[in-house]
Amino acid sequence: MFITKAARPSPAARPVLRDPAWLRWTLVALALGFLTLFVVLPLLTVFVEALRRGFGPYFVALAEPDALAAIRLTLLVAGIAVPVNLVFGVIAAWAVTKFEFFGKSFLVTLIDLPFSVSPVISGMVYILLFGLHGWFGPWLRAHDLQIVFAVPGLVLATVFVTFPFVARELIPLMQSQGTEEEEAAASLGAGGWQIFWFVTLPNIRWALLYGVLLCNARAMGEFGAVSVVSGHVRGLTNTMPLHVEILYNEYNFVAAFAVASLLALLALVTLAAKSVLEWRWGEDVSGPGR
Amino acid sequence: MTIRVSQISKRFGAFLAVDAVDLQVRSGELLALLGPSGSGKTTLLRILGGLERADTGSITFFGEEALGLTPRDRQVGFVFQHYSLFRHMTVHDNVAFGLSVRPRKDRLSRAAISERVMALLDLVQLAPLADRYPSQLSGGQRQRVALARALAIEPKVLLLDEPFGALDAKVRKELRRWLRRLHDEMHITSVFVTHDQEEALELADRVVVMNSGRVEQVGTPAEVYDHPASPFVYDFLGNVNRFTCTVADGLATLLGLGLTLPAAGVGPGPAVAFIRPHDVELIRLDGPAATDGAPPLPRARVRHIHSVGPTARVDLDLDGHPLEAVMDQDRLRALDLRRGDWCRVRLARPRLFGTGETAVIQE
Repeated sequence: MFITKAARPSPAARPVLRDPAWLRWTLVALALGFLTLFVVLPLLTVFVEALRRGFGPYFVALAEPDALAAIRLTLLVAGIAVPVNLVFGVIAAWAVTKFEFFGKSFLVTLIDLPFSVSPVISGMVYILLFGLHGWFGPWLRAHDLQIVFAVPGLVLATVFVTFPFVARELIPLMQSQGTEEEEAAASLGAGGWQIFWFVTLPNIRWALLYGVLLCNARAMGEFGAVSVVSGHVRGLTNTMPLHVEILYNEYNFVAAFAVASLLALLALVTLAAKSVLEWRWGEDVSGPGR
Repeated sequence: MTIRVSQISKRFGAFLAVDAVDLQVRSGELLALLGPSGSGKTTLLRILGGLERADTGSITFFGEEALGLTPRDRQVGFVFQHYSLFRHMTVHDNVAFGLSVRPRKDRLSRAAISERVMALLDLVQLAPLADRYPSQLSGGQRQRVALARALAIEPKVLLLDEPFGALDAKVRKELRRWLRRLHDEMHITSVFVTHDQEEALELADRVVVMNSGRVEQVGTPAEVYDHPASPFVYDFLGNVNRFTCTVADGLATLLGLGLTLPAAGVGPGPAVAFIRPHDVELIRLDGPAATDGAPPLPRARVRHIHSVGPTARVDLDLDGHPLEAVMDQDRLRALDLRRGDWCRVRLARPRLFGTGETAVIQE
């Protein structure tokens, strides 16, 4: 899975495990070549295209009202979806790792569902539920509430798609840490909240931050599910990824890549932060024995 | 009486971990719960500490019903097998935890807490390490921090789950003596769990021997060792030679050996005989073959001699049946035995238990 760290080669590899030089070089060259072709080149293209006409048009494209609206909306959606998933991710991880209950393995599978289901379906579900002809559509309309093609729909779809990040990051760590420290705290007279604040949370803080980073990156970059429920109203329901698509379809390449470069920057910052976390608190982030 | 446990049972799924246990813990004593793994000793301790809920039964602390009480209200200190120190807190903060989470009205000032913590760290000889983190300490040091942390809340009862289980042999012995001295100074009622009979016999005032969720015997170390109440206790406390036999007319005939032992107080029928290795006396072949009128002593062959330390252990083959004898080095030297030599054996002080129709102990 993409969350797990790549195994570091052991410094004292036994001769038995040492492959001939030509094989090593071929494999390294293949891996690097593949990465360059499929990851580095596209990423470079984004920045090259965005700055094709220099910094002037680049910033003009970003300062355009629709672009600013898209950025604001993306920040708003992520600003709601990420805290919501932070809270529910911690609750889900807590429930799964600290208690025994019926249907637990089902719950764990369910947490993974948003990863395995196509984002388009995630969006469609909300249309079917809250759309004009959906289950709750008539009732919502009667009460003058709009969910799909509006901000609530975008938030719902984003929450759905990004739910697993925090929970998946915490569950293995909390499982490996067990409940002994919590028991010790309880035996010393701490109440439930005190146990959570003073014992559980400090033990999971770096993994939690890591999960939030990934969750945020996905929340801001989500396209499929959001696209279905957005309705693509410029300046109103267009998030940054959707705005990029519209600009691109209008052959406004500089503007499209300018906005895209912001998303790419976000990805790079997330990766850098993730690397720093792993380097500085590797043990805490991924749990011992991983 | 500090703690009175009556008819406590606990079931995990189909497994009956604690089976209608009655137990009394006396004020100020150091009590050991001794048993093999799966005997329910840890579960019983956790029930005492309020970390596990009992299915049935009742527990009173100082005459007060305690089953409904939280660990905080029971005023127990719990020391965990794997220490369970808070890994993100310093030694000082670990020990201070129980005092700092008290409700504001009962809480000491920061300075007072710190003073108390340092006094405790002095007691466990760890004051210089107050600013370290648990990962920077050795196992023995961690265990002492765990003990100081449990003592910080001034518990009326101290519960220790396999307190020395994760330590190496030397540290374990030192810490054991240190804990005994500490207990003699503080007189805090303490219950500890162990599967190590030597530890229980050396450290405890009284020993509770447990097996399959039940209490087999309660007594002082000397009582349970010298007068085991059941075959299980005999077998569990110390090395032992075991023979299946049948009892008739006050004599026990060891199966497959044709040997007889006196069997006073055991009814006729199948039985099991235990003989401690130090009650197996070896006699050179050129010595007396029998003592006035008794049947001749059986012969056995030396299979192996372990002679390290003050006592020597001799593994013998008694007509196809393994037999272990322990004696001091001087005695072994006097016998002058080599591997493969023959000698006579006298089985002194056998202890017999009738096993009835259904054998309790299977080979």
